[in-house]
Amino acid sequence: MIEFLSYSFVQRGLVAGSLVAAACALLGVFLVLKRLSLIGDGMSHICLMGVAVALLTSTNPVYMSIPIVAVSSLGIMKIAQKFKIYGDAAIGIVSAAGLSVGLLLTALAGGFNTDLLGFLFGSILTVTRGETVFCAVLLLAVVGGVVSFYRLLVATCFDESFAHTRGVRVRAVNTGLVLMTSVAVVLSFKVVGIFLISALIIIPPVSALLVSRTFKQVLWLAAGFSVVSVWAGMYASFVFNIPSGAAIILVNLGCLVGCYLYNKGGHRG
Amino acid sequence: MPGIIEARHLHFAYTRTPVLEDVSFTVDAGDYIGLIGPNGGGKTTLLKVLLGLEKGQGEVKLFGTPLGEFTDWHKIGYLAQKSPVAQSRFPIAAEEVVLMGLPGFSARIKREELKEVYAAMQQTRTRQFAGKIFNDLSIGQQQRVLLARALVSKPQLLILDEPSTALDAGSREMFFDLLGKLNTQNGTTILLITHDTGEVGKYISKFMYVDKNLVFFGTKEEFCHSQKVAEKLGPFAQHTIDHLHNTHGHCPLGASCRECKHD
Repeated sequence: MIEFLSYSFVQRGLVAGSLVAAACALLGVFLVLKRLSLIGDGMSHICLMGVAVALLTSTNPVYMSIPIVAVSSLGIMKIAQKFKIYGDAAIGIVSAAGLSVGLLLTALAGGFNTDLLGFLFGSILTVTRGETVFCAVLLLAVVGGVVSFYRLLVATCFDESFAHTRGVRVRAVNTGLVLMTSVAVVLSFKVVGIFLISALIIIPPVSALLVSRTFKQVLWLAAGFSVVSVWAGMYASFVFNIPSGAAIILVNLGCLVGCYLYNKGGHRG
Repeated sequence: MPGIIEARHLHFAYTRTPVLEDVSFTVDAGDYIGLIGPNGGGKTTLLKVLLGLEKGQGEVKLFGTPLGEFTDWHKIGYLAQKSPVAQSRFPIAAEEVVLMGLPGFSARIKREELKEVYAAMQQTRTRQFAGKIFNDLSIGQQQRVLLARALVSKPQLLILDEPSTALDAGSREMFFDLLGKLNTQNGTTILLITHDTGEVGKYISKFMYVDKNLVFFGTKEEFCHSQKVAEKLGPFAQHTIDHLHNTHGHCPLGASCRECKHD
């Protein structure tokens, strides 16, 4: 364990991974309860387009992907609202568009290379200092937003129509939530890879919802499960020489099974 | 003095199907209005347009202010037709649900706010559920908690969409008695969608019949006695009038009713 923690790139990976995993879990609680959890999956597909553009233009994939994913996520909301279709259909449309453009650009860039594979499956040990700072800023923004607007966010998740009749600008709340999720998704693709980002958004909140009696408990537990899974997953990756992204998600799934069994035992009121 | 609700030339359509066509009316302070009409006649849509939940054409003013500029939402209590969360895992206590009805969403809950929450729960006989998870309650209990949420800000206008459908007989009586008291004692204006014209007819002062158009809007007496209304509305009007006369074995119109045989 001491050897594992002695490497600076491991330390940076653990810090960045923990920060972004906690942010994803906190945002995920609201997305899961608003039945928008698959938006993370859609955004991850759009990430591929951002990464492909970055590889073509030799720019930083993280910084290139953030505006692309943010604009696309607003597109998802606009399509759902404009055509009065369910959010999952809008997510499907935009993510398919992102994925196909991404694949097209990847082919133009000379096909799949090692850089791209790193983004697809995660490369937490290559997280830079700047990206770690970005992760810290994201978590601060998410925690600040949740603390400041806690009651408003819960009310909007619970009943959008009633929240509107209390003067809440529901569309602005949803836009803020989706934009923060865009940034979290982009920062997550180095941690677990494009394929597994949505798991960071969905699994910890679902685990927490199984065993919590209050909304605050859900937030704390979701963030806790997520951070623990990053540490345990990275350690397992180091010891057993397995991909860290997959190990992190498998630990998360272990938490989910544990919570299910705990819940089945009648421990949640 | 402006009406509590002023609606002018409201039109609304889902895709190409018109749901509301040129609906205009004014709701005055203290009115207790039963909004009736056939299924799919646009009653729920009308309430949503009035509250800005659906965007229609035409003009809506609430308390004299155009809907787009209206900010005094605490003056309005709203109870929708369906319970908001089918999500069985939403971990929120009944008292927190009622708290959502208060204006402002400051991070810290004040002692006075909790007092108001418990007072509203007392009114709807849900105080004993305060700490329970909302989704663990029965649909009828949830509906009473949601009524407490609509009442907690002491609104001047209550907009209720078929609120009694999930309630048992005892709760329904409590519910309509409470609305009646709020109307007569506090002067609360009530706009209520109902098919339960018999039970609620005791309290209602006006009927509004909507079937895409505003077919009828007037007092209970006009509704019951108007031959024109009976002809226009056919079996529904007769059914409603029969209900008003027969429920509870007495006529809600009392001695003023020309249909009853008063000695």
